[in-house]
Amino acid sequence: MSHTHLTRHRSAVVLLLVPALVGGAISTALGVYGEFHPPTRFGISVAGFSGPLAMKAWLTTGAALLAIVQVLTAMAMWGRLPLDGAWVAPVHRWSGRIAFLLTVPVAFHCLYAVGARYDEPRVMIHSILGCLFYGVFATKMLSLPKRGLPGWTLPVLGGVLFTLLVGLWLTSSFWFFTTIGVVI
Amino acid sequence: MSRLGPVYTLAAGALLTVALGIASAQAAPAIEQATASPIDTSSEAEAAETATPDETPDEAPTEAPTESPAAEATEPPQEETPTPEDSAAPEAVDPTPKKVDYAGVVQGNGGLVAISIRDGKAVAYFCDGYIEAWLKGTAENNTVTLKGKDARITATLGGGKAEGRLQFKNKSWRFSAPVVKKPSGLYRATAQVRGARIVGGWIKLPSGQSVGRLALGSGGAGESAPAFDGGAVTWYGIQLQPQEPDAFIDTLNP
Repeated sequence: MSHTHLTRHRSAVVLLLVPALVGGAISTALGVYGEFHPPTRFGISVAGFSGPLAMKAWLTTGAALLAIVQVLTAMAMWGRLPLDGAWVAPVHRWSGRIAFLLTVPVAFHCLYAVGARYDEPRVMIHSILGCLFYGVFATKMLSLPKRGLPGWTLPVLGGVLFTLLVGLWLTSSFWFFTTIGVVI
Repeated sequence: MSRLGPVYTLAAGALLTVALGIASAQAAPAIEQATASPIDTSSEAEAAETATPDETPDEAPTEAPTESPAAEATEPPQEETPTPEDSAAPEAVDPTPKKVDYAGVVQGNGGLVAISIRDGKAVAYFCDGYIEAWLKGTAENNTVTLKGKDARITATLGGGKAEGRLQFKNKSWRFSAPVVKKPSGLYRATAQVRGARIVGGWIKLPSGQSVGRLALGSGGAGESAPAFDGGAVTWYGIQLQPQEPDAFIDTLNP
């Protein structure tokens, strides 16, 4: 019994190998790109903002708010919140997708126009969290379709993602709003 | 749930990244061209920009006819300076101008560099809108040496221009910056907000071409500045008053 259980447990963890490797490769690639890619002219701006810093601060804030929706709907899906209904899972999926897509222009500007930097604590932490975020996100996305994963997989990956995003928000948007002010 | 849903999500993110990359790459040349456009309103500036620095004698003769007045001016030790400002008094012992401002294009980068000298003290600013450096140094015997964070400039003064080399991180570019007069030249504005310092830097050329950057804090956050006319600048509601080098040459601490 215990042997079978252990084998099954081990094979369940092995299922995570490929998603984790892909995620690790993505994080590493982003870090290497951020380190060696020189700051480049950024041609894209999202309409409605007075500058790229404000654009990034607000898109990240949007993603962070949706991340709270993510945590709440996930808790409902796992029976930790007395919310029920057919809407919970689609709301979780679509708030996650939108949050992810909101972060893409931000990360693109960070990596393409600025690059990773390690000379100030805020910027260093932000650079590291940003690279980790997309690796963990890819790991979670690739884990979702797999059946028979350890039960802790999705809660742990989701929790890590939420933590990383909050860390990213604190080291960027929160810093911007408290330094410059809440401006659009 | 569609088993491919998460893969589609990743693919959408990848597509968006590629789209942003293509759009940025297409937008970039236009910006670069505008930044690097030759200075055609001033023949002196144009000649100086195309001139080869003195260290490469093989090319110097071919350039000489186009800039003969400037080339001659480099010969005498007592430089005849072309602006009333810096003709103030070249000292007999040190020919370095007492007060002079240079600004020009950084060759191969497209950004601008400005050097200002006041009584042997020198400040410089390099900016292409995206990377920037403030430098501080000294000028003597018609040579100026400046240092900043990750940046270094050495230039020879003479013939109505500063010619030399700019090193930034692991890159190096040549430049030839003619003497410029107000309102062209170097400007800097600082402001203290809640937790960080804002530093704005601008360079304006006689052709009207300008470049600038607004930096927030010391971590490299900032934005390229909009076109600059020398007047006050408002950035996210914060008022900035650009000042000439006289106002900050003693206090600049790059």
